[in-house]
Amino acid sequence: MEALSLRGIRKSYGSLEVIKGVDLAIEPGEFTVFVGPSGCGKSTLLRMIAGLEDISAGELTIGGARMNDVDPSRRGIAMVFQSYALYPHLTVRQNMGFALRFAGVARAEIERQVMEAARILELEPLLDRKPGQLSGGQRQRVAIGRAIVRHPKVFLFDEPLSNLDAELRVHMRFEIAKLHKKLGTTMIYVTHDQVEAMTLADKIVVMRAGIVEQAGTPRALYADPDNQFVAGFIGSPRMNFLPGEIVAGGGDSMMLGLEGVDAPLPLPELRTALAVGRRLVVGLRPEAFRADGDSVMTLAVEMVEYLGGETLVHGRATAAGDIVTAKAGGNEAWVGREQVRLGFHARDLLLFDGEGQRIR
Amino acid sequence: MSPLLARRTASALRYLLLSFAAFLSVFPFFWMVIGATNTTADINKGKVSLGSALWDNVNGFFTAVDVPLILWNSTKIAIFGTALTMLVSSLAGYGFEMFRSKLRERIYTVVLLTLMVPFAAIMIPLFMLMASSGLINTHIAIILPTIASAFIIFYFRQASKAFPRELHDAAKIDGLKEWQIFLFIYVPVMRSTYAAAFVIVFMMNWNNYLWPLIVLQSNETKTITLAIASLSSAYYPDYGTVMIGTILATLPTLFVFFAMQRQFVQGMLGSVK
Ligand SMILES: Nc1ncnc2c1ncn2[C@@H]1O[C@H](COP(=O)(O)OP(=O)(O)OP(=O)(O)O)[C@@H](O)[C@H]1O
Ligand SMILES: [Mg+2]
Repeated sequence: MEALSLRGIRKSYGSLEVIKGVDLAIEPGEFTVFVGPSGCGKSTLLRMIAGLEDISAGELTIGGARMNDVDPSRRGIAMVFQSYALYPHLTVRQNMGFALRFAGVARAEIERQVMEAARILELEPLLDRKPGQLSGGQRQRVAIGRAIVRHPKVFLFDEPLSNLDAELRVHMRFEIAKLHKKLGTTMIYVTHDQVEAMTLADKIVVMRAGIVEQAGTPRALYADPDNQFVAGFIGSPRMNFLPGEIVAGGGDSMMLGLEGVDAPLPLPELRTALAVGRRLVVGLRPEAFRADGDSVMTLAVEMVEYLGGETLVHGRATAAGDIVTAKAGGNEAWVGREQVRLGFHARDLLLFDGEGQRIR
Repeated sequence: MSPLLARRTASALRYLLLSFAAFLSVFPFFWMVIGATNTTADINKGKVSLGSALWDNVNGFFTAVDVPLILWNSTKIAIFGTALTMLVSSLAGYGFEMFRSKLRERIYTVVLLTLMVPFAAIMIPLFMLMASSGLINTHIAIILPTIASAFIIFYFRQASKAFPRELHDAAKIDGLKEWQIFLFIYVPVMRSTYAAAFVIVFMMNWNNYLWPLIVLQSNETKTITLAIASLSSAYYPDYGTVMIGTILATLPTLFVFFAMQRQFVQGMLGSVK
C-alpha cells in the first residue's frame, strides 16, 4: 500500500486554477522531491497534503485512509517551513514539545520525546534558549526536531534550506539525508534547488504550471526525460537545444542534419518513424561533449569560463543560433580560442517534437 | 554664509522650534502643579510661582467630591473597558488580516469609514439606544460603545501584517484550534503591540468625557473627569481645587505611560522583528 496517494488533485482560488489535476503515488519510506519553477504550485500542493489548504477536487490518502477533510493535526504529517516558524516566545524545549502538550501527552513522556529528538539533532545544549538566540542552521534543526517529536508518518519540507548560506545548506542537506536514512520515514520535500533534488530524492516530481511534467528517479529524469521542459530543468548547466532536421533515410537508418555539424548524423534506432524534412529540437547536455565522440560540432567561441575543475565553453554553432554550452575538462587550453571543435556521440542526442514532447 | 555657519544656524533654529514645542506641551502640567498650590484669587491674577494653599485645595477637593468613589468608578471603567476593547478589537484586526473572504475588504472599509463619523453625530441615537435598553446611568453604557474601536481594529490589522502566517500554519499542524492559536501564539508574539494599544486605550477610557457626561446622571456613577468638570463649571469655580482634581486624574495615565514606555515605543515600531 502506498504511504500517500494523490488522485486527480485540483486547487482553485476563485476562478484561478493553480493545481490542475495531479496524480501521484508515494511508497513508504520514499524521499520524494517536488521541483519546478517559482509559482508552479509546489507549495500549494504540499499545503494541501498538510491540510493547510482545502482540496478543490480529487482524493488524498495517507496510509490508505482518505484525508481530504481531516484536520491537519490528525493526518500523521509534520511540516518544516522555509521560515522555520518557531514560536518566538517559547524555548527550544517548549517549541519541540508544543504539539504533544496540546495532544494531552504526559509531562514526563513529552520530556523523553524532546530529549530523544534533541539527541538525534544534537540540540541538547540549546534546549533552554529562545529561537531569537539561535543561528539560522540551529533554528532549522529545531524546526526539524519539532517535526520528529510528533513521529509523523510523512514529513513535509517546504524549501527548508533556502534561508541558509551556501555552506550551511550543503551541511544541512547532508543532515537531512542522514535523518531520512535513520528514521526511514516517508518524506516530501519542496525545493527549486536541483542539486538538493538530485542528491536527496528517491523520486523527483517535476512540476510546471500546476501539472506534473514527469515523476521518476533522478537518474531516469536526467537520462530519459519525457519532454523538453524536464530535460532543460534537470541538469546544470542546462541542456543545449538546437534545431535539427531529418535529411535522409527512413525506418532504422535516419540521418539528422544539425547546426554546426558538417555531415549528417546517423540516428540510433527509434520507435517513431520520422519523415525526411521533419524539423526537430535536438537536445545535448553540456557534459556530453567528449574528445572521443563519433561526431564533431564547431562552435564560434563567445566566452570561456575556467572554473578550476572544469571549463565551460560558450559559443554558437551559427551566427543566429542560440548559445551552446560545453563542459570541458579543467584544462586552461580552452581559454583564448576563437573557434573550437567538440566531439560528441550521436547516441547522446535527445529528440523533441515541436510541442517539446520527447521522440523516442 | 559659510557652510559651517549655515549648519549651525539651521540646528539652532531646529532647537528653538523644539524648545517651543516642548514648552507648549509641558506648560499646562507646570501650570497645573503651580495652580494646585495657590488660591483661586491668586490663580485668577495669573500668579506663576508656588503658593501655600496646597493643603486647603486638597481639603476642598476631598470635601467637594467623594474621591474614593469617583476614582473607583473611573478605574472600573478604564480597566474593564480597556480589557474588552483590546480583546475584541485585536481579535477583529487579527481576523481581518488572517482570514480571506469575499466580503472582507468591503466590511473593513465600512469599519474604517466609521472613523470619519464624529461622535456628536451618533450621540443622540446612541443615547436613545441605551435608554431603550435601560442602561442609562450605568457603567455598561460607557464601556459598550467603545469596545469595537475602529481605530484599534485598524491598528491591530496593520500590526498583524508582520505576524508570520507560517506560525499560524505550524500551530494548526501542532493541533491548536483557531482560538488557541490566537490566545497562545498571536497574543504572546504580539505583546508589545498589545502594550502600545493598552496605553492608548487606557488613556481614551480614562479621559472619556462627553459620553459619560450624557449617560451618567447620578453622583454615585460619576467619573473623575465628570467631577472635575462639574467643579469647574460652577458659577465661581474654585480653580485651586480643580487643579487638585486634574492632578489626580493625570497621575494614572502618567503612570501607565511611564511604566510601559519601552513596550509602547516597541509596539509602535512593530512586535515582530
Ligand atoms: N491564496 C492564494 N490566492 C490566489 N492565488 C494563490 C494563492 N496562493 C498561491 N496562489 C498562486 O498559486 C500559484 C502557485 O503558488 P505556490 O506558492 O504553490 O508556488 P510555488 O511553486 O511554491 O512557488 P515558489 O517556488 O515561488 O515557492 C502561484 O501562481 C500563486 O500566485
Ligand atoms: Mg513555495
